[in-house]
Amino acid sequence: MAKKVAIIASNGDLETAYKALNIATAAVASDAEVGIFFTFEGLNIIHREGSQQLTMGPGKEHFAEGFQKAGVPSIGELQDMAREGGVQMIGCQMTMDVMGVEKEQLIEGVEVGGAVSFLDFAFDADITLSF
Amino acid sequence: MSDRVDQTLDCKGLACPMPVVKTKKAMGELNPGEVLHVEATDRGSLADLKAWSERSGHQYLGSKEEEGVLHHFIRKATEGEKGVEQRFPYVVDLKDLEDRYSDNKLTVLDVREPMEYAFGHIPGAKHIPLGELEERLSELDPEKETWVICRSGSRSDLASQKLHEKGFKVKNVVPGMQDWKGPTEQND
Repeated sequence: MAKKVAIIASNGDLETAYKALNIATAAVASDAEVGIFFTFEGLNIIHREGSQQLTMGPGKEHFAEGFQKAGVPSIGELQDMAREGGVQMIGCQMTMDVMGVEKEQLIEGVEVGGAVSFLDFAFDADITLSF
Repeated sequence: MSDRVDQTLDCKGLACPMPVVKTKKAMGELNPGEVLHVEATDRGSLADLKAWSERSGHQYLGSKEEEGVLHHFIRKATEGEKGVEQRFPYVVDLKDLEDRYSDNKLTVLDVREPMEYAFGHIPGAKHIPLGELEERLSELDPEKETWVICRSGSRSDLASQKLHEKGFKVKNVVPGMQDWKGPTEQND
């Protein structure tokens, strides 16, 4: 049976976006079932506008050039690959209510749910990661 | 070696996880038994593509580096290859082969595909891919005993049956090159 990978992304910087999406796309390419729960600032990563403006955080701006040089795909490309690969992306309803975010503001292919929607996927996961 | 591949995938300049993601997609479009050539500059791809191939049940044939570009060769698994079924009753194991492979009274016949053979075969082994066996029988000496080997023992099983029908003295070597610990040679 396919391996199951459950990921929680709860930070909203570029680094977290790469960590979560990179592992997720590599995992689906390796035939794993993958689910990511985007909560608190992590919601940024699947926010249409927010995800285009992610930054490295103070003191790490110089990495941006390194990313480009190394040929790392853009966040938009990783989102597309995750969607095409069948990564289950869940936006946290509670965070959306708190921040006043509507489902329409999130990228295509995202479901919205509470903690239980994620846990339902994570209960029988082989690997759980939190970023 | 480039004439032995069925498709080439350009991943030059791409970082992780792109080589793996693109390889996965490309392998989906190949037919079983075909070989994919992946060109990459990401050094992580050396460990990644090998691990990915093993996990996905494909065969990582090997890699080489030329002018900063890594060339990976991966063979798509054929149906039924994973669950090996043997019917030919006369078999020898790898220990027997290790003792006898340089014996002149014996022909070691490797029936794998050219790329598999190129990345590592038993020194002195005669190479005829299973698909060409029928038309190249005359290259084999019927006076000598022929020990047939492939990767897992399944293609060599078919080859052994065929040679046995034609009157050759045959043994199938099991399981095959996947567990061979003895010396190997490579082609360019």
